Amino acid sequence: MTTVMCKDVVEKIIGYIEAGLDHQTVEELENHINSCPECKEFVLTYKMMLDLTGKLREKKFVTPEIRNRLKVCLKSSLMRK
Amino acid sequence: MDSLKFEYKYRATSLTDEELVELYVSTTDELLFEEIVNRYSNCIYGTAIRITRNHHDSEEILQEVLLLIAKKIDTFRSDAKFSTWLYRVTLNTCYGRLRSESKHSKDISLDDYAPYDSYGSLGGKVKSKEWSNNPYLILYKKEALEIIEKAIADLPEKYRVVLHLSDIEQLPQDEISSILGISVGAVKSRLHRARLFVRDKISDYFQEWRK
Repeated sequence: MTTVMCKDVVEKIIGYIEAGLDHQTVEELENHINSCPECKEFVLTYKMMLDLTGKLREKKFVTPEIRNRLKVCLKSSLMRK
Repeated sequence: MDSLKFEYKYRATSLTDEELVELYVSTTDELLFEEIVNRYSNCIYGTAIRITRNHHDSEEILQEVLLLIAKKIDTFRSDAKFSTWLYRVTLNTCYGRLRSESKHSKDISLDDYAPYDSYGSLGGKVKSKEWSNNPYLILYKKEALEIIEKAIADLPEKYRVVLHLSDIEQLPQDEISSILGISVGAVKSRLHRARLFVRDKISDYFQEWRK
């Protein structure tokens, strides 16, 4: 059994949340997380950040005005082809 | 729109990316190009805005990339994924524009970025800026998303592009590696530092927001 520090949680966070670590490592990390309020908050906010970042995919940038200008541009450029 | 045209358009929307492109290359049909425009405009613009951080540039990049698709789509090899080709073309167009406008910033390295101290401890820095129970996250989702967007914009470019492709566009790491021409290990490492940086920045912005 190795001594787990906050650093280990931070450096192994991707493997931890993507279930890419072996059972023993997960257990060691979880023992530390459960007893460390810092790491508990770190893991929680890390997951929340991923969730919020994923939501940016739904953001619509191309407004009807941009679409109209795009249409005009493509039409005139492609007609000159 | 007559019924035949409607049916054709309907069928175009159900094609995979690669089928759509293959059909467009062989027919250069206007309706198929329209479907390409509908399908990819937002993702081209979204990539451009996160690289250039400028709406005017992003709109011009969108036009430029779609014109490139119309004119050079026959250079796309059908054994590759269309999205890989598209992101590569979009990013090259972005970098070309940044270079021509001398806006290409010097890359600051985050390779050693870590929130813990030299003893490996988070030492109170995370809890003091706690935001997991922030009620504004639920009440003001739009503002929360703006905060995330701002935190991402603060990332140095080479980390920002990896985070965008991975966590926003949700591309697998091997595809990101192929788009950017870097190893999967480098993708993983940049993504890890980028996420640590963004999580910290979000904490800082929530602190400011609460004041």
